Amino acid sequence: MPTTQTFAEVFESRGISRRDFLKFCSFTSVSLGLAPSMLPKVVEAMEKKPRLPVIWLHGLECTCCTESFIRSSHPMTADLVLNMISLDYDETLNAAAGHQLEEIRKKIMKDYNGKYILAVEGNIPTKDNGVYCMIGGESFLNIVKETAAGAAAVIAWGACASFGCVQNAHPNPTGAVPVSEIIKDKPIVKVPGCPPIAEVMTGVITHFHTFGTLPELDRLGRPKAFYGTRIHDKCYRRAFYDAGMFVHAFDEESTRKGWCLYKMGCKGPTTYNSCSKIQWNAGTSFPIGSGHPCIGCSEPGFWDKGPFYTRLAEVSFLGTDTTADKIGVVAVGAAAAGAAAHAAVTAVKKQKAGNDEKK
Amino acid sequence: MSRIIEEIYVWRLPVRLYHWINALCIVVLSTTGMYIAWPLMSAPVGEAALHHSMALWRYFHYVVAFIFIGNFLYRMYYALLVNDQYARFGGFRPWSPEWWGVPFKEQVASYLFLREDEPNYVGHNPVAALAHFVFIFCGSVFMIVTGLAMYGENNPGGFTETWFGWALPLLGGSYGLRYAHHLVAWIFPFYVIVHLYAVFRHDIVDRTSVTSSIITGFKHKVEDEASV
Repeated sequence: MPTTQTFAEVFESRGISRRDFLKFCSFTSVSLGLAPSMLPKVVEAMEKKPRLPVIWLHGLECTCCTESFIRSSHPMTADLVLNMISLDYDETLNAAAGHQLEEIRKKIMKDYNGKYILAVEGNIPTKDNGVYCMIGGESFLNIVKETAAGAAAVIAWGACASFGCVQNAHPNPTGAVPVSEIIKDKPIVKVPGCPPIAEVMTGVITHFHTFGTLPELDRLGRPKAFYGTRIHDKCYRRAFYDAGMFVHAFDEESTRKGWCLYKMGCKGPTTYNSCSKIQWNAGTSFPIGSGHPCIGCSEPGFWDKGPFYTRLAEVSFLGTDTTADKIGVVAVGAAAAGAAAHAAVTAVKKQKAGNDEKK
Repeated sequence: MSRIIEEIYVWRLPVRLYHWINALCIVVLSTTGMYIAWPLMSAPVGEAALHHSMALWRYFHYVVAFIFIGNFLYRMYYALLVNDQYARFGGFRPWSPEWWGVPFKEQVASYLFLREDEPNYVGHNPVAALAHFVFIFCGSVFMIVTGLAMYGENNPGGFTETWFGWALPLLGGSYGLRYAHHLVAWIFPFYVIVHLYAVFRHDIVDRTSVTSSIITGFKHKVEDEASV
């Protein structure tokens, strides 16, 4: 498929009506948090601008981001989502393979120098010159550096590319790092989550396509439109939290009643994502909706903040079962014991001084 | 008992007020904070919409936190701009090696029973000043900044989030921030024990009525007993 095609042409060739095309544009504008007056701009971009060439690299990862991406429900079908962008290189989804595919990557880098988007899924092992992730005889570390050089912007898909995820959890045997540690001179948008929500992924691409810039980012480099509030803030179980109605065990009556999962270790109060708004799989549900506490997969270092089912994380360097509270109790106990011992010594010394005086 | 030879007005009313408001705030903040981290009360009966158990604990924590902040800022004003020789920062110079010199070493030696006599200070002794600085000043600043950063999360883009939200990435996100706030909170019960012990001990050993001085404002100098 030539990359000069516009979205509108792709939609037409797929038998999607003008009406559905406009619906898609409005939905996208809404999900991006744009004013209604911006809709014509989105439509115009979709109709006139050639599709965005995207090189999608897979590093040290599980491909769950791709799996999520192809399940996007708005735009309407999974197969349309793949046409949102001109996905010229993607190890998982491309029909071509081997040298043929590597040639395509080189060609895109040359033909669209400074214009293509580099999407990175997975993180980059840096230990021992990056030998822990080799693609086509080349280390992923080198591939990312090489491909990023001519990219207009970099999208870090998922928790891996954004913050690290399981590969760089303690003790991080392969020295895996997120993309932002390797690429410093390009605008990077982080789309964390394990995986990110499909509509969030397509929304980020649409924004870049429409405006030619990355969406507004927060302090951690995530698009504000989707990561602006915590899951907790929009959670439908929030009323139970405020009322103090908590689930204490999964086999309780309270679980059936759908009370708040705060005490089951729910990370909703500390996790910025759109799960409680957009939800998953065409708005079917999301973890808390299915009765499971949020594990905070879109937050930095969430694997090291476990266990998932308790509120307070363990302090790993002091061994398992050590939490902030245990440290606190021990410190306070030590203070009390120290004070008592000091008092005893003081008393003994005073006594002695008194006795000496009497002699 | 030995004769009182001098009465010194050490803690002026603003200092005493600050002390007791601060003490009360710390007790309430610790209690409500620990409750928020682990809500103990059993669930109310009936519709969730009719109850505000958890919401009230949090609300109470916020209200008292703002009193705590106000009280802290007031004390900073008093320490920096009011000329009160026992309550100002003037004498506290931990950056100068001189400050760590003889008086400090003497006081440490006394606490470690390496000296027979007890050095006597009308205001804070150097070790006490250092402890107050580390636990009460640094501790409060840390709790205030991380607390406001969390408070700001309720309204992204608002005033508090704009001015204090930078603490989030610094501590590894929202969870790390809560963790740090919770862990550092433990220094307060720790310090209360150390503080109370030191005060009662000094009262008995030096007999300067340091305990009552934070209520009345007066410390006493007593006639030296040769024996102790």
